[in-house]
Amino acid sequence: MLKFSEQQEQLRKVVRDFVEKEIATIASKIDQEDTCPVELLRMTAQLGYNGVFVPECYQGVGLGYTERAIILEEIARHSAGFALALMTHHLGVYAILTWGNEEQKQKYLPKLCSGSIAGLAVTEPGGGSDFAGMKSTGELVDGYWVLNGRKCFITNSHCADINIVVVRTGEDEKGRPRMSVFVIDENTPGCKPGRKEKKTGLKGSDMGDVILDNVKVPASNLIGKPGDGAKIGLGTISEVGRSGMAAIGLGILRACLEDSVKFAKERIIYGRPLAKLTNIQFIIAQNRTDYEAGRLLTYNAVGIKDAGLPCVPEISIAKYFTTEAAINTAKRTIDLMGGYGVICDYPVDRYLRDAVASIPSGGTSYVMQIIIAGSALS
Amino acid sequence: MKINGEIWIVAEQVKGNLKEVSYELLGKAKELAVKDGFPVTAVVMGSGIGALPADLIAHGADKVILIDAPRLLLYQNDIYALVLENLIRKYSPGIVLFSASYSCSELSATVGAKLRTGVAAHSIDLYYNEQGELVQVVPAFGGRVLGEIFCPLTRPIIASIKPGVFKKQAKDTARQGEIIEEPAAGLEHYQSPLKAVTVVQEHLSGVPLEDAEIVLAGGWGVGSAEVWQLLEKLAQSLHGAVGCTRPALDEGWAKGEHELIGVSGKTIRPKVYIGFGISGATHHVVGIKDSGVVINVNNDPNSPVFQISDYGVAADVKELLPKLLEKIEEAK
Amino acid sequence: MNIAVCVKPVPDPKFYDKITINPETKLLERNKIPMAINPSDKNAIEAAMRLKELLGAKVILISMAPPEAKEVLKEGLAMGIDEAYLLSDRAFAGADTYATAKTLAAGLNKIGLFDLILTGSESVDGGTSHVPSQLGEMMGMPHLNHVMAVETEGDILKIKTKIENGYMLYEGLPPMVLGVSKEINTPRYVSLMGVVKAQGKPFTVWGLNDLQLNADDVGLAGSLTQPGSLRTPPIDRKVEMLDGDIEEKAEKILKILYAAGVLN
Ligand SMILES: Cc1cc2nc3c(=O)[nH]c(=O)nc-3n(C[C@H](O)[C@H](O)[C@H](O)COP(=O)(O)OP(=O)(O)OC[C@H]3O[C@@H](n4cnc5c(N)ncnc54)[C@H](O)[C@@H]3O)c2cc1C
Ligand SMILES: Cc1cc2nc3c(=O)[nH]c(=O)nc-3n(C[C@H](O)[C@H](O)[C@H](O)COP(=O)(O)OP(=O)(O)OC[C@H]3O[C@@H](n4cnc5c(N)ncnc54)[C@H](O)[C@@H]3O)c2cc1C
Repeated sequence: MLKFSEQQEQLRKVVRDFVEKEIATIASKIDQEDTCPVELLRMTAQLGYNGVFVPECYQGVGLGYTERAIILEEIARHSAGFALALMTHHLGVYAILTWGNEEQKQKYLPKLCSGSIAGLAVTEPGGGSDFAGMKSTGELVDGYWVLNGRKCFITNSHCADINIVVVRTGEDEKGRPRMSVFVIDENTPGCKPGRKEKKTGLKGSDMGDVILDNVKVPASNLIGKPGDGAKIGLGTISEVGRSGMAAIGLGILRACLEDSVKFAKERIIYGRPLAKLTNIQFIIAQNRTDYEAGRLLTYNAVGIKDAGLPCVPEISIAKYFTTEAAINTAKRTIDLMGGYGVICDYPVDRYLRDAVASIPSGGTSYVMQIIIAGSALS
Repeated sequence: MKINGEIWIVAEQVKGNLKEVSYELLGKAKELAVKDGFPVTAVVMGSGIGALPADLIAHGADKVILIDAPRLLLYQNDIYALVLENLIRKYSPGIVLFSASYSCSELSATVGAKLRTGVAAHSIDLYYNEQGELVQVVPAFGGRVLGEIFCPLTRPIIASIKPGVFKKQAKDTARQGEIIEEPAAGLEHYQSPLKAVTVVQEHLSGVPLEDAEIVLAGGWGVGSAEVWQLLEKLAQSLHGAVGCTRPALDEGWAKGEHELIGVSGKTIRPKVYIGFGISGATHHVVGIKDSGVVINVNNDPNSPVFQISDYGVAADVKELLPKLLEKIEEAK
Repeated sequence: MNIAVCVKPVPDPKFYDKITINPETKLLERNKIPMAINPSDKNAIEAAMRLKELLGAKVILISMAPPEAKEVLKEGLAMGIDEAYLLSDRAFAGADTYATAKTLAAGLNKIGLFDLILTGSESVDGGTSHVPSQLGEMMGMPHLNHVMAVETEGDILKIKTKIENGYMLYEGLPPMVLGVSKEINTPRYVSLMGVVKAQGKPFTVWGLNDLQLNADDVGLAGSLTQPGSLRTPPIDRKVEMLDGDIEEKAEKILKILYAAGVLN
């Protein structure tokens, strides 16, 4: 049985209070304006959300990935777009926390816990899932690294204070590209946002290009060793990125479930609530089942991560399931609402767009299936 | 325990003017007096208020106890409570009714504690049941639930009454009544630990919400201060008043708390109520349920607000308001 | 400075439209509704925290509630309160405002001396707003309710209370009981760190035997008012939807106004 601790239950409650007052009320505005509400990210920082899994010695809260998933689920229940901005910030935080040296942790984590926003830039026009096709470069010149290239589809591209980028820094003895990770401080010349994309959904988190134009960073900004890039990039995305997306999918599932129940009870048709019709009950049953299944998969997976055990297959399963289920559930909820489902006064059309946009974020369902199958067949 | 004493009402006055609720309390007390046969007594406290007893008699008081003393110029809970405590101990009334305004409900609770007797809060109905007990009906859970309150063992029974719920009697200047002047007993040796420094009260313009024949109430769905302006305009051209829900007040569109309708605000009974962009939460609806015709405009055709309406209009407030204004101007 | 905040756990007001009365038992069906801290009590907690930050203070919260309320009260600790006292006993059930105030007073007197006792101005469930005044009487302290602002000037407290369409200003010295209303401040959101720290703060539970009270001073037995039956007021009407385009809808409304005699 999935059971949260008293502290986790309390945490969910206080997060929900915050989300209902500060985020739910502006969720459709966030979606329409499609710019990241940066001031909201500064508020969540004050409440500890931005550094929830960072130890107290770096001014974090010292909790884990289960608590992070609770926060993301609660936020995504009302605004999956904003949840994505926070979840991506966590990726930058995680990379430094896990692979940074003590000095880097002391320097960056307190800032990132208290309001500075992080982004993680991996993907390039040449490919997302294909690491080897990466063209951005880092060259060591006079003891400084000079970074050049263009990253695309980067969340928080236009609002991140601190960017963490993966670039190519040479080749290994077998001629394979060698990737390395750098942290770029605020206001470093040459690092700037480029084009901003218009997404189908998950609007309200900025997504676009990060341009590296002769960006000069000190050698001390290298995270891990030269060549650790693939490990850090993939490690961050596969565990923290995808578990975050699973939690966001879960939030969308809950939104659909709650809204479908509310509508079915309130809408009167032929003198009776819609909920009295059997086919409507089927939709409600399916929505509920998908939500429950997603909940078990997601919290099971992050529980494994919190236990410090290998968790990539479980996280991939959770991400695959919740995001796909979110699409189906949102579609069913639209069907349930009939005409109201597609008018923009109801948020369901947003849920569907958010669900669709959450498939590629952190790796598509095909990539998830390859990982899952790989683990099953190994 | 039977009621075995007079019915008192504590009249509420501000700067020498009686508040409407004082007459409403008299109206209810008269009704109760028909059943129990006791005279209705009004207590009025203040400074320089010698003209008020006649007005209270004209509105139904058989007796008025007047306490006119300089120290009673400004309402102050501890001082008023002490004087009332002594007065009640002297006369032993059976029932004492207060207004449920901020100050008088505070006063009722304080006096109740001093006399160690039960106090029913914000009552919306009072009647004798078949056993001859006084039933006090009070709202709870924001008006969602009404509960009966009894005060079986101690006297007097104290209740505060929500303004706007009871009807006052027609004024009859020919009515006769007895006026008793009492000193502010208990204050001789009393030094208050509190000092009332000032009272600030706004003067409100326009038709008061509770007197308007037509009330236009706006909710969160009005959406902006600009659209709210249209609502104000429409109210003006209809000689009506504007009311609001809690969110519209919190947004700062409505002029102030005096426009709030519902459990935490006013109870109104206009001939026509039109709600714009209101979802029909019980907290609001309890304040309008006795209105004549209830119309609601909401862009959600399934809004629960229509369940409490005589007429429902599924429309966007932003579009309907200008149309209504236009039509009404044409009609003039 | 020693401050006590009286906190009442109430069924979460977000769900009041769902409260119904069981037609057979005539009791409230509210079992599915989660508990929350009474809204204006959060303002009282916030006011206490601000005084603490400004002047330094030890702040405790006290509540008379069933044992399940413990979780809800922890939210007060998470907001920054130092210690919690829960007065809980079967004998306390069914208390009216007088018995509630009496029980709270006994608890407060047992804990120690206070410079300020803060309460909310009214609860959202019972909603009498009587407890602040009655508690003040029983503690033998000056008291004011519907407080919209408190400032300190040396030892003097300057207090603004709400009246219809305005306010009054008072001055006085502690100790005092103040019932604060929502205008006084905006309660802070609980931080995650607050949640974590709350778990380790002292939490005392006292029953009837711990207080200097008899069973007939408290609960229903000690109450001066007694509840009768409950009902939900009928508010539904039979609706007729006005159809047509916006033009026609406006015209139809006008017709209704003519018919009701408010337009001629
Ligand atoms: C103890 C307590 C006491 C309270 N006391 C009161 C009280 O005295 N008075 C009070 O009013 N509230 C009170 N409240 C608040 C109350 O519970 C509700 O939250 C409030 O009444 C809802 O206000 P609303 O209908 O304006 O807003 P909402 O519930 O947000 O409803 C807005 C409505 O507008 C519609 N809408 C949106 N856009 C448009 C558009 N463009 N055109 C047309 N329609 C649109 C929506 O469909 C919705 O139905 C109290 C709450 C508590 C807990
Ligand atoms: C339908 C109904 C009607 C009622 N009517 C009456 C009535 O007319 N007269 C009457 O005497 N009683 C009445 N009661 C009982 C009353 O609600 C309870 O006595 C309640 O425990 C205290 O009163 P309150 O909730 O009205 O508090 P309020 O006086 O409205 O509360 C103000 C503040 O006092 C503090 N406080 C109140 N209760 C507690 C507590 N248990 N623990 C800690 N702090 C607290 C809080 O800070 C709160 O914000 C009624 C109850 C119901 C359900």
